[in-house]
Amino acid sequence: MDHFMNPRNAGELDNPDGHSEVGSPQCGDAMTLDIKVDDDDRIADIKFMTFGCAGAIAAASALTEIAKGMTLEEAGGIKNSQIVEFLGGMPAEKYHCSVMGHDALSEAISNFITKRDATAAAFKEILDEVPTELRNILGDRTISIVHVHPGRVRISNVGTDRQKVAEILEKELQNRIGETVEVRIA
Amino acid sequence: MKVYLDNNATTRMAPEVLDAMMPFFNDQYGNPSSFHTFGSNLMEYIEKARQQVADLIGADPSEIFFTSGGTESDNTALFFGGETDPEKPGLITSVVEHPAVLKTARYLEQAGHPLGLVKVNSSGSIDLDSLEDLVSGKTGLVSIMKANNETGVIMQIKEAAEITHRAGALFHTDAVQAVGKIPVDVKAEEIDLLSLSAHKFHGPKGIGALYARKGIKLKPFMHGGHQEKGMRSGTYNIAGIVGLGKAAEMARNFISEEALITSALLEKLESGILKGCPGAVIVGTEAVRLPNTATVLFINVESEAILTLIDFAGISVSSGSACSTGSKDPSYVLTSMGISVADANTAIRFSLSMYTSNEEIDYVLQELPPIIEKLRKISPYA
Repeated sequence: MDHFMNPRNAGELDNPDGHSEVGSPQCGDAMTLDIKVDDDDRIADIKFMTFGCAGAIAAASALTEIAKGMTLEEAGGIKNSQIVEFLGGMPAEKYHCSVMGHDALSEAISNFITKRDATAAAFKEILDEVPTELRNILGDRTISIVHVHPGRVRISNVGTDRQKVAEILEKELQNRIGETVEVRIA
Repeated sequence: MKVYLDNNATTRMAPEVLDAMMPFFNDQYGNPSSFHTFGSNLMEYIEKARQQVADLIGADPSEIFFTSGGTESDNTALFFGGETDPEKPGLITSVVEHPAVLKTARYLEQAGHPLGLVKVNSSGSIDLDSLEDLVSGKTGLVSIMKANNETGVIMQIKEAAEITHRAGALFHTDAVQAVGKIPVDVKAEEIDLLSLSAHKFHGPKGIGALYARKGIKLKPFMHGGHQEKGMRSGTYNIAGIVGLGKAAEMARNFISEEALITSALLEKLESGILKGCPGAVIVGTEAVRLPNTATVLFINVESEAILTLIDFAGISVSSGSACSTGSKDPSYVLTSMGISVADANTAIRFSLSMYTSNEEIDYVLQELPPIIEKLRKISPYA
């Protein structure tokens, strides 16, 4: 009940890594969910907004509390029974109210993965056909990818002119996917 | 503080009503239909109650039949109206009726009675043109509620009855929400059949009445003994009947004097909500409404969440929709007025009574705005 009276993680995130909007036009219920994901693929922060009954609000609050700190894979596998247990029980006829939260979380995760795939694909394109300017700096080195995140890419083996390499790559990525992607060099 | 603002669901029984009923739970336990004087002496109390109910709606006592309440009265009227004349099997009712009428009408439709549904306009009043188009020589009964339970909108009963009578059909009104709150006059409004229920105006639950205009030969809905001229069998619920009578007597006083106080409190509640909760919309403001009912849309804020929080604050109100069966059913009363499903799911109904106090309204106006604000903050729509 406390999760309804004082819902945890209610609100929105600035520049979320994953975002979802789910709802049922039939009953007008709706929910948005934002996630921030760290470089270990763990949910670093999570926020939700909902137009739903007390059960939906409490379930969303519990779900976000459970998911925080989990890897994406773990979070995707959260069971309804865990939410009910976390809340210390829930009337059976309200179980369905928690479904919207599940949908929102899995959609936010897939939104994150889609964005990450887009960043990875764009980066691969650049490496497949390295721009002359960059080739001149790299010489015969081959950039190795350490980690890809929708908003940042970590790479290594770029030689000494790190800042220039990062600048060129960031510009190329911006041109390809229209979003700012930070390039970090390990 | 506990505040009860769900008086359209049921009302607190008046202490005077309980006092009137008590003897019939104690030593006056006889059966009024018995031959012996111990039982038959009780018939005078039943006849007194019949007179009290008749006086409340401008009827003759012989036109009042006691039933178990609004649902039974509605069922009796609709079944009778559907079968009164084989040449006139048609039934007409409105889209905003209580389920006691609407579901009965649907049942009769399946049993072969053509059903016509009168539309309502955006203010919640019935569309008389729509009724005019639907009635025909094949219509047996038209049933239009006197006042709507959700919006409190008072329907144009006299006009509807006139249209009905011109087509040669009988006119029934489910006046469960109106009787005891506003003046109802069966003669002036040309009503043939009327349903009322005691617990909506501070009487006991489980008792009501059906008014049937003199000359209408009702068919029994409950078969059995000979009570109520054979029209409604079953041992007299004497305590309930006496309670209904007493409540009817008190309601006449309420209508002539106290209804003004209630409507002033309602006005205070409405203006306070509009001031304290930006974006709130009162439903049916263009129509004439009951002095005790306001349904408010708190746009972008889900009603059941409001209901739960306001319940914690000790305030009892209701919403038109319920999210318990897997999908939310928005109020058909509100959607038939053209209100969107999403907006209908933000509706809260406040219904006052003669026991509602100024302090209670102050308390609601103090508790409600922060609740709405809190929920608005987590709403993705707002």
